[in-house]
Amino acid sequence: MASTSASSSSAIAPAATTHSFARYKANNIVEDGDLVVLYLSKENVILIRVDVNETFNCKFGSYRHADMIGLEYGTKLGSNTGRGFLYLLFPTPELWTLILPHRTQILYVADISFIMNFLNLKPGMSMIESGTGSGSFSHSIARTLAPTGHLYSFEYHQERVNAATKEFEDHGLSDMITLRRRDVCKDGFDLVDRVDAVFLDLPAPWEAVASAKRAFKKNKIGKICTFSPCIEQISKTVTALSEHKFVDIQMYECLIRFQEVRILPILTIEEAMEKERIHESKRQRALPRVLRDSYLKATAKANEDEELPPAKHMKIEKGQEEENSNKDNDDTNKKDQSLSGTPAEFEASGKTVTITKLPVEQRGHTSYLLFATLPPSVDSLPVVTLE
Amino acid sequence: MATNPSDTINAGEHVFIKMPSDNVKCIVLKPGSTVALGKFGSFKANDIIGHAWGNSYEIYDRDNKTRVYHLDEINEIEETENNNREIVDDASSQKLTLEDIKALKNEGLKGELTGQEIVNKLKESHATFDKKTAYSQAKYLQKKGKKFHKVFTPIKPTAYSVNEYFYIKNPDKIRGMRMDTLSQLLSYSNVHSGCKLLVVDDTQGLVVSALAERMGGNGTILGMYDGDSPNYDILKYMNFNDKIQETIKVLSWLRMYRGVDEKTPDELQDVTQLTGKDLEGYHRRSKAYKIVEESRKILHAGDFDGLVIASQYQPESILEKLLPFIRGSRPVVVYHTAKEALLDTSTWMRKCPELLAPQLTESWLRKSQVLPGRTHPEMSTWGGGGCLLTATKIIDFPVQAAMTKRERLAMEKKNAEAKKLKREREELANSSNDASREGSAAPVAIASSSTIVVETTSTDATDATTGETTTTTTTTTIVQEEDSKEPSSKRTKLE
Repeated sequence: MASTSASSSSAIAPAATTHSFARYKANNIVEDGDLVVLYLSKENVILIRVDVNETFNCKFGSYRHADMIGLEYGTKLGSNTGRGFLYLLFPTPELWTLILPHRTQILYVADISFIMNFLNLKPGMSMIESGTGSGSFSHSIARTLAPTGHLYSFEYHQERVNAATKEFEDHGLSDMITLRRRDVCKDGFDLVDRVDAVFLDLPAPWEAVASAKRAFKKNKIGKICTFSPCIEQISKTVTALSEHKFVDIQMYECLIRFQEVRILPILTIEEAMEKERIHESKRQRALPRVLRDSYLKATAKANEDEELPPAKHMKIEKGQEEENSNKDNDDTNKKDQSLSGTPAEFEASGKTVTITKLPVEQRGHTSYLLFATLPPSVDSLPVVTLE
Repeated sequence: MATNPSDTINAGEHVFIKMPSDNVKCIVLKPGSTVALGKFGSFKANDIIGHAWGNSYEIYDRDNKTRVYHLDEINEIEETENNNREIVDDASSQKLTLEDIKALKNEGLKGELTGQEIVNKLKESHATFDKKTAYSQAKYLQKKGKKFHKVFTPIKPTAYSVNEYFYIKNPDKIRGMRMDTLSQLLSYSNVHSGCKLLVVDDTQGLVVSALAERMGGNGTILGMYDGDSPNYDILKYMNFNDKIQETIKVLSWLRMYRGVDEKTPDELQDVTQLTGKDLEGYHRRSKAYKIVEESRKILHAGDFDGLVIASQYQPESILEKLLPFIRGSRPVVVYHTAKEALLDTSTWMRKCPELLAPQLTESWLRKSQVLPGRTHPEMSTWGGGGCLLTATKIIDFPVQAAMTKRERLAMEKKNAEAKKLKREREELANSSNDASREGSAAPVAIASSSTIVVETTSTDATDATTGETTTTTTTTTIVQEEDSKEPSSKRTKLE
């Protein structure tokens, strides 16, 4: 793990910059005050705000922020010691999901993506999200609704509100997100005829359905998604949605399987037996002389046509024997290597198979995604011909 | 009425019509026309044109009139004492004959009976309906409803609904890309308003459509295609306005670079000499040529914010060609129906110095029936939905962070030794005039990570994005040093 001795205190200091998670920088160059994701490895990814006077330290050396300034995003930066390096990446909502400080359970890319696609989010839409939680989903929504859309985010926990407010500001999203502290189940959203979509990640989403219905734009279709880990919550929500005249109620689960690609060496049985023979011949030489002699006598006949080294050794003098066996060992070593070499060597010789491997343990469930549609209010519809 | 044109059902647009059987039909809504829905009757297009999306309509009366209908599918069921002990599964329980039912159906089509009335008749003449369990009764009514209710729902074509329609109807057309996979492709590509994307789309335009929808008319998509013209059939279903349509540009692989013998229409023909059909032809060619020129300009300006590939061709071969046009720290997303087709690409990516952390993922999606007391995963579900291989483009030009004085001296010393070794080798090799080369000392900074630089010199030395000439000179120096190490070390062994 990287020790962020200097950067931890000043990791993300607000800066008067327009740098935002919601859009790329036009010049794609790291400048003083910019946000940069430092990618050291898959497990070690850190977001910093570049400050010309700061240094980022980790066990592979230190990196002065000043050295990052002027470099293009995506550059590989070596440490001062030359032992380590990291990549300067542009912050995206997907990267943020991997590195954000967890204040709650968060949504991951599988659910985030599916919900956004199902709700048909696109630039210019307005949407409600409740609760804000750790702000994982908020970042993705803001990026997708930008630049003209708006996200109304609600959270009843004061500390989470404070932390998220600061994050949205630091990440250049505050003009797109209105964050309010509010218990929506008790007090509602206090929005009328305002949004295109609603996302509820609440312990009791059914309590917020009535208020959500009022928040939808009246004259158009509205889409709602609720996110609940338990099926019992879903049942109650379905009943509430149905009572409030939501239609087309559907439930999904979505998971991502991360496949690990590996190159496995693969031997034919002949090659494996060859290897075995080499081992065997080595083992025979390691036997005490008495045993070996008797063993060899017993097997000599059987091996007559096979050219096995021990048969010769029996008659050679000690010194010679050693030299010879050394030489043999060299040979066998070479063979061993060719049979159990690195994947690259195997690849070169074509004795490999490329496989995918699923991790032994993987996510089996996140939450149930419940979707429903709110038809436009019938009143506002133009004439439906009745006699 | 809703104000935004995309919130209403408009004349001339593509519309999906969902029927009681859950089948979806795609139509173009012509004003004044009558849309036939087979056994579910027909309706007049004008009856839904101008209305907001989101309502269901019931066809009633003899003149195919429609009225807004509230779909009430979710019923609480009160359990009864009934069980299926005495239910015998045969045709005798329905007292109506096949002919009777056909007659009812006809009456329904003529508008003399509503779907509900037909279902009630069937129920009444069912001998054992009352003996069925409450759940079974509900299921029966739902099943019959799906056959006789004359209700339809216009569905707005969106990336999701178009994807779903084709995934069910003709998955091969879109290379088996399922909605969840597409959604992840959109996330990983970080597509948003104002970005510039390079796309190779052989899903007949599904990927381009979804990306364009997310950009909302701001930004550029450049689609590379092969053949006479790009096959982006799916675009037409999306009802995009001109602003969004204009964000989509295309370029043929064959026109990627200006051919040696390529001539502009002006060079081929003298426009002042042309008349009639020849002049028309000239203008047509001229226009086509301008489009090619414009797309080529967009491509060679580089600076793309992402590369998305969903192609039938080998992804590595495409990556090799297009990676140079992508900016640093930008996503590269490759889709393929089959995981196996991406394995070699994944290995290739891991070796590619310009790509960071390739990741192969497969999505899993399950839909459930949600009814009070009857919630369970659907009995039949989707099979494969395709695979994604994602990575981040990085700049393969390592920069060394500043060093302390001591470290710098150590590095310089090391460098001087390397130079000395090189000189010795050159003397040994007795090459005639290499002295001039040694003047350009490799900057200390880059020497340490020479191995990675080596691979790219061949492919990228010409690339404009790596820029300055100093870069190229240094890299060549390192390559030479690399070469020099081997022979000299061999020599020492021999000695």
